[in-house]
Amino acid sequence: MINIKSIAIKNKNKKQLFNSQLLLVFIIILICIIATLVNKKFLSLNNIINIFQQIAVLGIVSSGVGMLLVAGEIDISVGNQVSLLGVILAMVIQKVLGLPDGKNIIPGLAPFAIPLAVIITILSGAFLGFLNGIFVIKTKAPSFIITLGFSLVYSGIALLLTNGASYMLFGHFETLGRGKLFNFIPISIFFFLLAIITAFIILKYTKYGRFLYAVGGNREAAYVSGIKTQKIILIAYVIVGILSSIAALILISRVGSALANTGDSYSLDALAAVIVGGIALSGGRGNAISIFLGVILIGLINNSLIIMNVNPFARGLVIGLVMIIAVTSNYLSNK
Amino acid sequence: MNQKKILENIKINKSYPGVQALLDVDFDLEYGEVHALVGQNGAGKSTLIEINAGSIKPDSGTIIFENKSFKYFDPDQSIEFGIQTVHQENKLVEELSVAENIYLYDLPHKFGFINYSDIIKNTIDLLNSLNITSISPNSKIKDLSFTEKKLISIAKACSRNAKILILDEPTASLDAKGKNILFEIIHNYIKLGHSVIYISHQLEEIFEICNRVTVLKDGKKIATHMIKDIKMEDIIHEMIGQFSITLYNRKQNKLPKKENDIVEVIDYHREGVVNHISFTVAKGEIFGIAGLVGSGRTELARLIFGLDKKDSGKLIYCGEDITPISPNDAIKKGVGFLTEDRKSNGLILIRPIFENISLVQLAKNLDIFLNLSKEKSETNKISSELSIKTPSNYQIVKNLSGGNQQKVVLAKWLFADSRILIIDEPTVGIDIGSKSEIYKLIDELTISGKIIIIISSDNPELVSMCDRIGVMKNGQLIKILEGNDIKEENILFYSMGTIKEKGVD
Repeated sequence: MINIKSIAIKNKNKKQLFNSQLLLVFIIILICIIATLVNKKFLSLNNIINIFQQIAVLGIVSSGVGMLLVAGEIDISVGNQVSLLGVILAMVIQKVLGLPDGKNIIPGLAPFAIPLAVIITILSGAFLGFLNGIFVIKTKAPSFIITLGFSLVYSGIALLLTNGASYMLFGHFETLGRGKLFNFIPISIFFFLLAIITAFIILKYTKYGRFLYAVGGNREAAYVSGIKTQKIILIAYVIVGILSSIAALILISRVGSALANTGDSYSLDALAAVIVGGIALSGGRGNAISIFLGVILIGLINNSLIIMNVNPFARGLVIGLVMIIAVTSNYLSNK
Repeated sequence: MNQKKILENIKINKSYPGVQALLDVDFDLEYGEVHALVGQNGAGKSTLIEINAGSIKPDSGTIIFENKSFKYFDPDQSIEFGIQTVHQENKLVEELSVAENIYLYDLPHKFGFINYSDIIKNTIDLLNSLNITSISPNSKIKDLSFTEKKLISIAKACSRNAKILILDEPTASLDAKGKNILFEIIHNYIKLGHSVIYISHQLEEIFEICNRVTVLKDGKKIATHMIKDIKMEDIIHEMIGQFSITLYNRKQNKLPKKENDIVEVIDYHREGVVNHISFTVAKGEIFGIAGLVGSGRTELARLIFGLDKKDSGKLIYCGEDITPISPNDAIKKGVGFLTEDRKSNGLILIRPIFENISLVQLAKNLDIFLNLSKEKSETNKISSELSIKTPSNYQIVKNLSGGNQQKVVLAKWLFADSRILIIDEPTVGIDIGSKSEIYKLIDELTISGKIIIIISSDNPELVSMCDRIGVMKNGQLIKILEGNDIKEENILFYSMGTIKEKGVD
């Protein structure tokens, strides 16, 4: 027998994700209105493009973290991955080009410096993800602990490689981070949108994406259903690593040099973005639109604080509060 | 009031939504007796002991303890009165020592610090008084054997001045030596004038240790007997009742058997769990596996499906070796497994119906992209064939009733075109209406040529559905019932009765 109460619960559950996304859109519009009232420049096309450029790197990292969260796993080493991969990228470019003093390691390799550095960076990214993943699935320890450990390892390696100094690019490899299409739209925005669209397609239209939801929703049931759950999780970590490497390419290209901690803040920002976007830490829920809206919200908060002349030190405070409010409201609406 | 009685229950009633767990049950316990409580699953034994232990409040009725009457006990009260329950699974803290565990609730202390020499001394005295001499009070629980842990659980219960011990299946998985020590402890304990409520499915033990026995069935008390006045067969008859119920009438019995159309389960073994089990099932046949919880039924199914590691075992389908080595391998070879707990490992509760239905089929094929429109129409088709009641297949499974959830699990395995289906507890937690629908579905599957193995604790269900029933006990397949031998009392006789056990350890 289906009674009226259970129908009401059903409708509530069905619309829950949709509602929380609608709420996010509402909050985003609200922030836009307030920021515009304070400073009219906020809604200018330039500023909007500016916002998107600012969140491009965050968006790419968050796409990976979001998919991982759907599978019920977490990676808090992404920021350190970005930092380390940035150092590797800049280091390879310097060594191969023989910067700054002209002593290149292998003469004749210089023309291939950029493609070589890019390939090495992406492969390294895949490897870092693989390391995280293999330890998570083999030890069966909480992924929070494993990736916390690896975040220190990656950060340590980056410090050792740089010795605390920065690797300058001296004007090389600038297009990706600073280039603009038609002299107008920054190239990095395309990579951001590409990452989100890829996540959207994977989660919605591929078998792999479906398995991510199954693994995150009930791992044991997924395994009994014949899904190779460990393989699914391992691949998700590798995807996160590859997206970290692409984020590193864009970030270092834009900044023009690599420090051992250039990308560290993305660990928590990416997590904040996907959680604010409505992807549950418990797994099995959420989609690429959640990731997109979460990233936009974090970007907007950052930008509007600057444009409204708020003390920049208040940024962490505001993002932290937004995150707590998001999680609390999710909890209350689930009750 | 009778001075001989320490505890008396009068007209106890307890109902849960849809179930009358206890109906006007009377029960009494005398000083210095061991009183057995027997009945099939769902007879109401657990509810009755939990009411006396104070963890459940009865809807109505009176509890009389030492001539004082109560509406109910709360947990503190029952501890104060000296009523202690030893559960089937141990509730000891593995990382602490024997002495610490025994006195965990009342650690002797001086100035806020634990007085270790006192608790060690008390523990030694306690263990000596119970004649448990082989266990050191300083050993950690995790270093003890299963039997030793059980003895410590009992010692712990005795330590709190217990006047009534409630033992729930105390001999389950206990070896012969442990059983003897346990019985000795019980003998010494009742000599002090204390009493024991003894719950066991092992009827032969009841004849060894108990003074009286009370039989429950479907929440009602059938009778109380002096053990010396009754035979085991009579107890079994009382547990079953006079009329055996037919839950479902199969449309047709066995298809004409062809030589090759069988699946052979050959020599499945896992040390200490499943003991060299072999049987065959023909196409169009339903093979039942009966036995008590813990007899190795589910474990056998998990071995066959490749979920757990086995020491030996082969699965032959029509002459071809299809032994699965993992669930993924099993589904590719057409073996399906409907687990007994659909919520914990049968369904992705927070995902929609259609995703759950197509999951196994997706895990089986090699596609990269989903065909959403085809998936939608095909899952809609199977969902209406099985008449899953839902406004749409986008509904998340959590919101469905138990019966409809079970149909989703069935749909999932049928959608993947499984040839062999192992169904563990097909109708547990399902209302009567859905039950008969599920029986009908299973019956139709048999007619369409699927090979079906049903594992169940519901004996009337096995009797109504199965062509043959294998009875398991202590990891062994001790009897295969066929034809006219398929009766509830035979199942009970073989799974609970006095068949000489071989050591499983």
